[in-house]
Amino acid sequence: MNKKVITLVLAGAMAAGLSTTAMADLRLVNGKIEVDAALKSLAAAYEEETGVHVEIESMGGGINIQDTLKGYYQADNMPDIFVNGGDADFANWEGLLADMSGEAWVQDTAAAYVDANGAVIGFPYTTEAIGLAYNADILEKAGIDPAELTGPEALKAAFETLDAQKEELGLTAVIGYCAEATNLYWSTGAHLFGAYLDSGLDRDDTTYSDLLADGGQIDVDRFTHYAEMVDLFNQYSDPALLVSGTYDQQVLGFAGGKYAFVTQGSWIGATMTSDDADAYAEAGNFTVGMAPYAFEDGIDTILTNSPSWWSVFQNDNTEEALAFLQWCAEDGGQKFLVEDAGFISPFASCAYVANDPFAQTISDYTAAGKTSSWHWLLNKSGLDQNVLGSIYNAFAQGAMDVQGFVDTVQQSLAQYYAE
Amino acid sequence: MKSVAQGNKPLSIILFLGGIALIVAALVLDCMGSSYEYRGAMLVCGIIGFFLGLYLIPTKKHHRKIVYFIFLFPLLFTFLVTVIFPLVLGIGYSFTDWTGIKFSKFVGFENYISMFKDPAFIWSVLLTFIFVVLNMILVNLIAFLLALLCTSTVRGIGFFRTAYFLPNLIGGIVLGYIWQFVFSNVLISITKTSWLSQTNMALFAIVIVYIWQYAGYIMLIYITGLTQIPGDVLEASSIDGANAIQTLFRIKLPMIASTITICTFLTLTSAFKQFDVNMALTGGTGFVQNFMGSIVTTGTQMLALNIYNTAIRQNNYALGQAKAVLFFIILACVSLIQVRVSNKKEVEM
Repeated sequence: MNKKVITLVLAGAMAAGLSTTAMADLRLVNGKIEVDAALKSLAAAYEEETGVHVEIESMGGGINIQDTLKGYYQADNMPDIFVNGGDADFANWEGLLADMSGEAWVQDTAAAYVDANGAVIGFPYTTEAIGLAYNADILEKAGIDPAELTGPEALKAAFETLDAQKEELGLTAVIGYCAEATNLYWSTGAHLFGAYLDSGLDRDDTTYSDLLADGGQIDVDRFTHYAEMVDLFNQYSDPALLVSGTYDQQVLGFAGGKYAFVTQGSWIGATMTSDDADAYAEAGNFTVGMAPYAFEDGIDTILTNSPSWWSVFQNDNTEEALAFLQWCAEDGGQKFLVEDAGFISPFASCAYVANDPFAQTISDYTAAGKTSSWHWLLNKSGLDQNVLGSIYNAFAQGAMDVQGFVDTVQQSLAQYYAE
Repeated sequence: MKSVAQGNKPLSIILFLGGIALIVAALVLDCMGSSYEYRGAMLVCGIIGFFLGLYLIPTKKHHRKIVYFIFLFPLLFTFLVTVIFPLVLGIGYSFTDWTGIKFSKFVGFENYISMFKDPAFIWSVLLTFIFVVLNMILVNLIAFLLALLCTSTVRGIGFFRTAYFLPNLIGGIVLGYIWQFVFSNVLISITKTSWLSQTNMALFAIVIVYIWQYAGYIMLIYITGLTQIPGDVLEASSIDGANAIQTLFRIKLPMIASTITICTFLTLTSAFKQFDVNMALTGGTGFVQNFMGSIVTTGTQMLALNIYNTAIRQNNYALGQAKAVLFFIILACVSLIQVRVSNKKEVEM
């Protein structure tokens, strides 16, 4: 019997020992797996300075972060800071996020996420731009001034000029446009569709996203003009890429100087200087820039935004988490975020310049006040994957003409928003 | 046992009641959101105390039953927590507006009604049925032919058996991506546009990949069936002058009837649950111009993927849960029929 008592005591002691395992002081769930190493060095520097350990947990590569977070929530395992990508994501956590309105960094940026009640619940950490990216060297050789690409005629003329000189310029196609639906639905269904919603508008102009939110309507005139531009892309794209290409092929082709334009945003800068660095160097490390998606005369803005935000989960660590974010917005943190992670800082006081090919063009547009917002972030969840991606793909395959595309999009949006 | 039963009455009662008290205290603390760090230890000690007390209860009559219970408990508990609780919770959630985090109200049968009004869902149900029928026939046919080949006297049978079975060892996601490359980058020189981006052909692409993955497994079961046919029967038939075709249809097939039943149901249920290849290969994309008067943009999305997409991509957990309940009912029916049929066969034999 004594033995049994001893066993019991030992088992109890063991269980007690297990339950007191040391926990990380702060935990951050990062949605950009490519900057995992940079964030870990950021965390190490913060720990050295303040003694607070920050555990970086990076997710990416196709896993749905919100879904994983919901699992964490159910398991009572929430991180202190985590990433949110837009209205739908923030809506999940209504009432559970810390209000950061009182923080000092809020005064230093225009990109913070503010909810309907005016509370700041998202910390911006980078800026990304959506526009018609171009290879400035090739445009120069062909005698095209990118500054003049502000209307459909200019765009069409430029495409025709380039198409005629394809051989001399070493181009495979004028534009690297890919409407593949399984893995690149986000490029067409979210970003390129976003060009319809925002191109040429002021940052706070929500005309077309409001229309969309109201039962999935579109402005048929504007969308028809937009569809003509997409049709132009269909015609002048690389046929090997158009229907079933991949992101890697698309970016590699642009980095290697095979396409004069590409329908991807500023994030490809990171790919061009890392994975595709060889091809990029071979093509002469050309200058890049961004033209507006000018499907109507006078459209002269590109779309810039913080692609996602860091939010603070309300718990016992909230104070420490807020202090960490404040530090990130200041000189010490910005150095890592800009120089190591390659982020384009959304903070006005930031003195560092990212080593990114697109950094210059983004700051030019920002300085000139020629930027529009990303209201596609307000789209109904899954719109790109479940609806638009397939339609852009069918359009690219020639299953419908411009009018058919407009009608199909109109009908499907109405259906999807009615559900 | 007698000494155990007599000497420990006070101890057993203390342990038993103390255990229950500790468990309850730990759970109450946890529910109240306390962060008292020894509550995990309290729970574990409570559980151990409870079982020790139970074991030491001085009863001769029920001691054996108690021991059975203690031994069965871990399994029953796991079954309860991982199967029964989620099932009940899931059915409950399907009647609410659950978001994956919380729910605010019960909505009755609203999720079930809206599910049947959604053409994309009806499409995915129909597509799943087509896929299941195609697969059930093709996988069994091909697997059986491969099994015949692998039980014949061809040289290098061991190699063939291994080679045909090998794809089954690769996970569906990996396989899906490999074949995506094959369809979109290799076969494209023949097919011009990738099959995966043509809605009709994409279904066949999924069927092909699925057969490639699954036929080897079913083949193994058929091989087992075929090798268990008694040699004397085959020998007798050949002496009587039966040719290969007659042997196949009159002897081999009837002798492995029960194997065929098993394989049919295996392919049936696994095809119903098809998810990973579907997700990796096409992600459910596809364009159908007119189905029930509306446009379907998820033309290759089967039932399991539809449920996943509804919950995860469209962020509608409650509706996804309702669809999952329907999915469960369909699969439960199939399984019940399977059990019935197999039982009958066994009686006859």
